[in-house]
Order: sequence, then C-alpha cells, then structure tokens
Amino acid sequence: MMEIFFPDSLDELWAIMSANPGGAVMAGGTDLLVRIRKTGRKPPALFCLERIDELKQIRENEKVIFIGAYVTHQRLLENLTVQKRLRALWDAVSVLGSPPVRHSGTIGGNLCTASPAGDTLPPLYVFGAEVDIRSKSNKRSVSVAEFITGPGRTSLHSGEIVTRVSIPLPAPGTISRYYKAGKRKAMAITVASMAVQAKKDENGIIELIKLAWGSAGATVVTLPEAEEFLRGHTLSEERLRQAGKLVSAGVTPIDDIRGSAAYRRMVAGNLLLRLAHEN
Amino acid sequence: MLREPLTVGMNAPRADAFTKVTGKEQYAADYYPPNLLWCGVKRPSYAHALIRSIDISRAKEMPGVAAVLTHKDISGSNRLGILEKDQPVLAEDTVRHYGDSIALVLAESRYTLQQALELISVEYEPLPAVFDPEAAMLEDAPVLHPGRKHAFLETEAGVAWLEDDGALVIVASTQTPFRDRTEISHALGIPSCRIRVIAPYLGGGFGGKDGITVQAFLALAAQHSGGRPVKMWYSREESFLAGTKRHPAILKYSLGCDQEGILHALDCRIVMDTGAYASLGCEVLALAMEHAGGPYRIPHASIEGIAVYTNNPVAGAFRGFGAPQAHAAIEQVIDELARIAGFDPLEFRLKNAVSRGDTTPSGVTLTQSTGILACLETARDSAAWRERERWESLAPPFKKRGTGIAAINHGIGYGPVIPDNANAKIELTGEGRLIIYAGVSDMGQGNAATYLQIAGDILSQTLDNMELVLPDTAQTLPSGSSSASRTTFTFGNALIGAAQALRKRILERASLLFTYQFFEHVRAEDLGLVPGHVRHIPTGREIHLSFVSTTMDQSERTAANSYTCPVNRQKPPTGGSLRIHGYPHRVYSFGVNLVRLEADILTGEVTVCDFIAFTDAGRIINPELFDQQVHGGIAQGLGYTLFEDFLVSEGRILTGDFGAYILPTALDIPDIQSIAIPLQEEDGPYGMKGVGEITINGAFPAVANALARVCKTRISSGPLTAEKVLAAISRNEVGKNR
Ligand SMILES: Cc1cc2nc3c(=O)[nH]c(=O)nc-3n(C[C@H](O)[C@H](O)[C@H](O)COP(=O)(O)OP(=O)(O)OC[C@H]3O[C@@H](n4cnc5c(N)ncnc54)[C@H](O)[C@@H]3O)c2cc1C
Repeated sequence: MMEIFFPDSLDELWAIMSANPGGAVMAGGTDLLVRIRKTGRKPPALFCLERIDELKQIRENEKVIFIGAYVTHQRLLENLTVQKRLRALWDAVSVLGSPPVRHSGTIGGNLCTASPAGDTLPPLYVFGAEVDIRSKSNKRSVSVAEFITGPGRTSLHSGEIVTRVSIPLPAPGTISRYYKAGKRKAMAITVASMAVQAKKDENGIIELIKLAWGSAGATVVTLPEAEEFLRGHTLSEERLRQAGKLVSAGVTPIDDIRGSAAYRRMVAGNLLLRLAHEN
Repeated sequence: MLREPLTVGMNAPRADAFTKVTGKEQYAADYYPPNLLWCGVKRPSYAHALIRSIDISRAKEMPGVAAVLTHKDISGSNRLGILEKDQPVLAEDTVRHYGDSIALVLAESRYTLQQALELISVEYEPLPAVFDPEAAMLEDAPVLHPGRKHAFLETEAGVAWLEDDGALVIVASTQTPFRDRTEISHALGIPSCRIRVIAPYLGGGFGGKDGITVQAFLALAAQHSGGRPVKMWYSREESFLAGTKRHPAILKYSLGCDQEGILHALDCRIVMDTGAYASLGCEVLALAMEHAGGPYRIPHASIEGIAVYTNNPVAGAFRGFGAPQAHAAIEQVIDELARIAGFDPLEFRLKNAVSRGDTTPSGVTLTQSTGILACLETARDSAAWRERERWESLAPPFKKRGTGIAAINHGIGYGPVIPDNANAKIELTGEGRLIIYAGVSDMGQGNAATYLQIAGDILSQTLDNMELVLPDTAQTLPSGSSSASRTTFTFGNALIGAAQALRKRILERASLLFTYQFFEHVRAEDLGLVPGHVRHIPTGREIHLSFVSTTMDQSERTAANSYTCPVNRQKPPTGGSLRIHGYPHRVYSFGVNLVRLEADILTGEVTVCDFIAFTDAGRIINPELFDQQVHGGIAQGLGYTLFEDFLVSEGRILTGDFGAYILPTALDIPDIQSIAIPLQEEDGPYGMKGVGEITINGAFPAVANALARVCKTRISSGPLTAEKVLAAISRNEVGKNR
C-alpha cells in the first residue's frame, strides 16, 4: 500500500521526504501513475506537490519568465507571455496530450520524465531554459541540456526536486515554432518533432537560429552544423531542403512500435521545410 | 416530445440516453453483489506448449483465496465454440495462444487475486508454433489487412451466483444471452434450464461479445464459491490478450474488364488467420467470400477462401464480419482497373454496379431492394465529387489532396441455414402501461429504444407509458444475437406482430366495455388508441388502459410473436459447405462512401477533411439513430484505416493497451455527412434493412483510393499510417526525379 502525502510547503515536503525514504514525488501523476500501473511497482509513498503554492507560480520581468514546476500545461497555454513571446512552447503545450492531460500534467513532470518524446523539451532547449533545483539543504540551477542526461534520466539527486524553470525571453522580432508529428491528432506520443527559434534581419537573412529535435535520439537532439548551415542565408525551400539532409543524417533515432528510425530521420529533416512558409 | 405518441420515422428520444448520461444505468461491470469473490484466470507463458503439470498448491493456501480450479473441476465437455467446439474453458494438456486459460482463481480482493495467479506454477513443454497464416502467401502484391481490436468502453465483465435452489444466474455483458446458455451447458455439464443469463445494456460490443467471454468462468466459479456471488472483469490489457480480434487477412485479386469498361472476370483468394480457435472464423470467411466481388456484375468469378489456425490471438466476430476485409480489396482493385483502363472511377462503378435481378460475383441473385445505383448517382451529383479537382488543386503548401470513393454492400442476417428467428413479447400491465420484452441485446446501438418506438407507433403510446425488459432468459424470449445487421430487422418484425395482436385484443375488449356503457353495440373500428387510453372516436369518450387491462388475465395481457426471416435458397455452385456458415444472403444494404483528405508530404500525416456516406439501408425508423450508426461505423472504420494496428510478434501482442494501440480521437474524425437513400425493403419491418455494419465497410477503400491519388502508388497493407504514406510519397518523388 502507498502512503500519500499532501505537504503545504517545501519545508513540510522536506520533512516528509526524509521520513519516508523511497517515496516518489508526484505532480500531475500523468506519467507516474501510468508507470506504476504498467510496471506494478508501487513506491511506498507519494509526495504530492499540488498544495505547494510556491511551485505553482508564474512570474516574469523584462528578461526572464519563471515558471513553477507545478504549472500545468493548460496554464502555459493560457499565459499571454508564453503565447506571444515563447510561441514554440505554446505550440508544444497546445499539441500535448488532450485537455484532461493538459489540466493535470505539469512542466516539471514533463522535464523530470525526461522522455525523448517530451513535448516541452525541444522548446526549452532552443530557448536556453534553466532548471532550478532544490533540496532540504541545497539550491542549484542547471541548463536544460545539463539537466537531462539520458532517456528517462536527469541530473536530479535523491532528495532534490525541480522548483521552477527560468526561460530568457527572446528579443522582439524573434520567431519560434514547434512542429510535431504523432500517430494521431491528439493524445499522441511524438514520433518526431522540431523546435526552432530564429531571428532574421530586414532582408530575411537568418541572424540567429536554434533548433532542437524530439524523438530523434536518446534525448533532445541539437545539431549546430545545421544551424550554422542556415545562418547568414534566407530560408528558401532549397536551402532548407539541403539543411534537412544534414538533419536526417545527424539525428540518431531508434525503431519502435510507433515508427522506424528511417521515418523519424526523414521527418526530422522535413520539418525544417515548414519554415519556408513562416513569417 | 415525451407527450407525443411515438411514431416510426420520427427522431424518438433514446430510452437509454438519460440513464446513461446520468450514470444511473447499470452495465454488467457495475454489478457488485454483496460478499462477492473476484475471479481471474492464469494465462500461459507460451503461445503453444504442452502442459506438464499445474501446481496450484501455493495459490490455494494463500489467505484470501477461496478456490483454485483447473480443468479437473469441470464435469462437462470443457469445450466452448459456436459451430466448431474447439476451445477449452480451462486448458487440459495444451495451450495454443498467449490468451489461453489454465486455472481459475477465486479471491477476496483483486489484489489477492493477482498475487494468487502469480503463485500458480505451470510446467510447460514448448511446442513449435505457427504464426504465419500461410508462409506461401509471399506472392506479389497482396492486400494485407491486419487484425483489429473492438476496444469497447466496457471490457468483458459479469457476475454470477447460485439461487437457493441451485440454479445458476449470470449477469454478463453479452451479445448472445440465449446462445451462451447452451454453450455453457455443453462445456460445463449444467442443464440449460438451470442457467439464467441476464444481459443489461452493453458498454459496446461490436462482435467482441458475440459468444462466451467471462460467462463460462463465472459459471464454473459460482459452482465452487461456497454459495457466494462471483465477479469477473477484464482489465484493458486482458481484454486485448484474451478477447477476440478482427481476422487478419491476406487478399490477392485479379480483375479484368473489356474495352468498354465492362467487368468480365474476377480471380481472388482470401486467407484469414483465425488464431488458436475457430470462434466464428468459418462464418467470417464465408461472408468475406460472399462480398469478395463487391456490388458488381462480374460474370466469371473464382473466389477462394481459406481460414487458418495459428497460435496467434483468436479472431472472431467484429462489426462487418469479413466484409470490410473483402471491400478493402475489391474496391481498391476496381479503382486501379478504372485508372488503367482509362475510366472515371465513379462512372466505371456505375457501368458495372448491380441492380435488382442481377447476380453478384458470388452467385447471389438479388431479389430484394438494391440501391447501389441510386447511391452512386447521388454521389456523382454531389458537389464534393463534381468539384473534386478544383478542391484538390487548392491544397495548402506541403499538402496534397485526394478524393476517393468506395461502393459497398452488406448481407443482412444469418444466411440460409441457421434460422434467423426472434420472439417478441409485449404486455399490458394492470396500470395500463406497456412492457416490451426484448430478448436481443442492446450493445449501445439503440435497438431497444427502437423497439419502444415500434410498439409506441402501433399502440399510439408515449415513451413514458412504456417500459423495457432487457434480455433475460427467464423473462424474455429467445431472439438470437445482437449481430449480423439483423437485430432490429428480425426482432422488429417479430415485435410488429406481437404489438398488433395486443392492439387488436385491447380494442376488442374496449369495444365490449364501451358497449356496456352505451348500451349499444360499439365496433372496434370506431375505436382508436391514444396515449394511456382507448377513445371512442365518434363520441370522444375514453377509457383508461388500466380499465381495459382488468378484463384480461395474465395470459391475455401479453402477446408474443415469433418471426423467422425468409432466406435465399440458392445453392452456390461450388463450396457447398459454405451454406452452413451463412452463405448466401437474401437482403443487402448498400452504400457509397466519399472521402476528401489531405496528406502532409513532410510527415505523411493524413487529415480526413470530409466524409460523405450515401446509404441504402432501407426505410428509416429513427433518423437520428440511423445517423449514429453511420457516424459510429465510419469513425471506427477510419480508426482501422489510418491508425489501429494490432501488432503481434510470435503470438505476442505488441500493441496491447491504449498507449500503443492507436484509436482515433475526436480531432481525427471529420464531420460526417450521412445521406440516406431509403429504398423500401419488403422483408424489413417498415421497409428497413440493417445499418449497423454497412457503415464500416467503406472507410478503408475510400481512404486508400484517395491516398492512391495523392501518392500515385498504392500501399498494400493496412493501416495506412503516416509512415507508410510518407514512404509511398517519397518513393514516387524519387521516381519523378529520375
Ligand atoms: C494520455 C496521455 C497523453 C500524454 N500525451 C503527452 C504528449 O502529447 N506529450 C508529452 O510530452 N507528454 C504526454 N504525456 C505525458 C505526461 O502527461 C507529461 O509528461 C506531463 O508533463 C507529466 O507531468 P505530470 O505533472 O503529470 O508528472 P508526474 O506523472 O506527476 O511525474 C512524472 C515524473 O516526474 C517526477 N516529478 C514530477 N514533478 C517533479 C518535480 N517538481 N521535481 C522532481 N520530480 C518531479 C515524478 O516523480 C515522476 O517520476 C501524456 C500522458 C498521458 C497519460
């Protein structure tokens, strides 16, 4: 049997966590509960984060938005800053799961699950997000790329939780997008996806571009050579097609029941072409 | 609406709608008799193996375990099956697929049950297993149709108990309450008259509950539960593992026409994998063969069919029952031939489609209403078809658009040998209410509501003056299965007779009552039924039905009527044994499906933009229920066309839950337009024909034909996933560049 705790504050959480070793942190439970049912392995205790206000806050200044770990995807979808300035993240949560999943699932949970198919991850990569981590006695921040160390693996130590994600707000005039291919139009695990953040000059020449792919490798894949190839050029279909070839060759996806590696490679490259028609 | 007497042709409200949306309706899975024991089954670790020994001792000793049973505890034949009795309730010496059953455990809780099942140890001697329905099938360009799961909301469920006199009662989610009784009796050696089966509304069936699922386990368990009620309810994973599937099929077709585009010859071969047990494999194959040539005149036809046992999951009935597989093939081949021979695909179908009096490629002479030409003509004149090229040319960047059609038919009923019979009963209560005893299950399609509408029409009663008794072998009369597009067709005919007999009796009695009041002879012709009353029309005087009821005893208050459908008595020239499996039919529904879709050439993802179903399923009793069947059938059809892939490797299911088995969501299903071409069918009640299955046959070929326009090539195996579409598109682009 599992004991289930609902601490009201971080301090209370630390106390409960140390008194119940082996327990699991639960945010929305949309990954955790599925995993428990599937494996049949029940942790002795669940530490639910839903009453800790500090983890539910969204704050921002001119430069950065701070998103609490327990902010649900639905709240991101409704947040105007996310919608206007972090469009790739907004795109990602708009195609994440379904309304019930978006109302329970959280950004912290998506990060900690560290699935290569996690939809918020590629946007967080291209925006250069930082993950704030705390434990009873310690506080630290790492970049998303450092946070995620492998499929289902993070750099969290036992006793640590993610408290928030900080995302630098892109300069005005920057565009960002997230494109996803799944097996159906909702409730679909990503088969291949791509996030992009780009800034063009007045002639349409790319000054800055950041790209990241989901479900294209063991973790989110970045390909500096593809970014390099596009920088300093306009996003013509031809240029994008050539860059797409670099991408198809550069990503490292696997075969599984959802799709073959060859398909994922092809789509990862093709998704770049969508940029030809974005302004 | 409730104040109005129900009338055939109106959108009568569904009697089950309110109780279902408010959660009041009790499905079999909702029954929790007090003091119940949970039952579960031990499944094998091999797809094919001899059982050396079964050690149940540790499970038996576990606290909270009431009993552990094996085949040794069964006194009957231990064989289930409809025609072919080949499936043990509990395995004796052999297991034949991963969903087989070895031992049955009764426990205090589901948790204990799981643990006890793990404590049973079985020693096996693995046997070579067969997974490929025909290795020899590696011929050129077959159309491969994989298995599919019904994916009903309510997984297989039921409860059972023994009455004080030892009689067995089973409440189960079943499409076949009366047949279940016979099957259980045979397998477990319990006299049929000592078994009562009750079938509440089903939370979906689609063929997956056409026969025994948990009922035999429940019956066995109830006999060893020390007098306690027992409950069994499959988890979703177990439903995938042990439930039946749609038959995977390999179809190979050759079709020929002359220069004018007149079809002359068809040569085809259908191989179906029925898995470890026959279930309804022969019947499904027979229906596939009957529909193999579609609704066309093809004078020379060779249709070969084979159903093969393997060690794969068991395949059985699933909405469409073999016809979707056949239509997936013939309708693509027709399209290809039209293209090669240079004809418009719709005109080509019009040239060759059957009309009444014609003979189909399977040798069936169509003596009944035949609406395929009308459906095709209506489709041809629709804007979606006329303007298709313009619409296709307006595709947004990186999208390609295609339009596709399919022409389909579907046989109604059991075929020539097994009597397609129903027995309806209707009662006037002492309070003047009407009770309709429906002996055939309502698995969600709304047939029970239709029965109220039919009786309400004949007796001029409102919905609130009528009640239903759902199938219960102790109260309702045998009426066959809820299947084969025959449920309302057959039971409706029986019910009309019962309701008319009761109406006549009511009016005759009422005429006596009026005669006593008026001291003058009142003729039944002067009387009319109105809600709750009989009215003397010349004077407007009324008497309440409860008063009429006082002039009757119990036997007179009820009227029953038996109806057996006429059959097609043609003998197929070859394949004589097909008749016993249901070949051929007499009445068919017809349809044309038109789809417009958009494929993303970067990802292969397909968006179905519009779907129009032109359906001749005869006259319509309730337009809303008719459309619901059309919408549901097409949604299910689009699911199996585009997404659902029942992947099995070495007998093991790879897509065994809803995480991996991809069903369509609301966002994947377009608005569906249902256009009825309601020809009058003389055999059907009020001129109707079955609409439950014709709706699922066309989605696959219509979509495949639209995609063939997009990809400029064909995808030879279903489902038509984004990955296959992208591969097909790129194959073609590469070809172009060369
Ligand atoms: C039907 C369905 C559809 C889905 N569709 C998608 C989809 O389209 N895209 C997608 O990316 N995901 C999808 N998911 C997965 C899931 O919803 C998301 O990953 C979600 O963001 C997880 O968040 P959660 O709050 O529910 O996490 P939980 O399940 O509560 O937790 C997940 C893991 O993270 C840990 N954890 C959670 N919060 C913290 C924290 N603050 N600090 C430390 N550890 C923590 C938990 O211990 C657990 O190991 C889907 C899930 C379901 C059930």
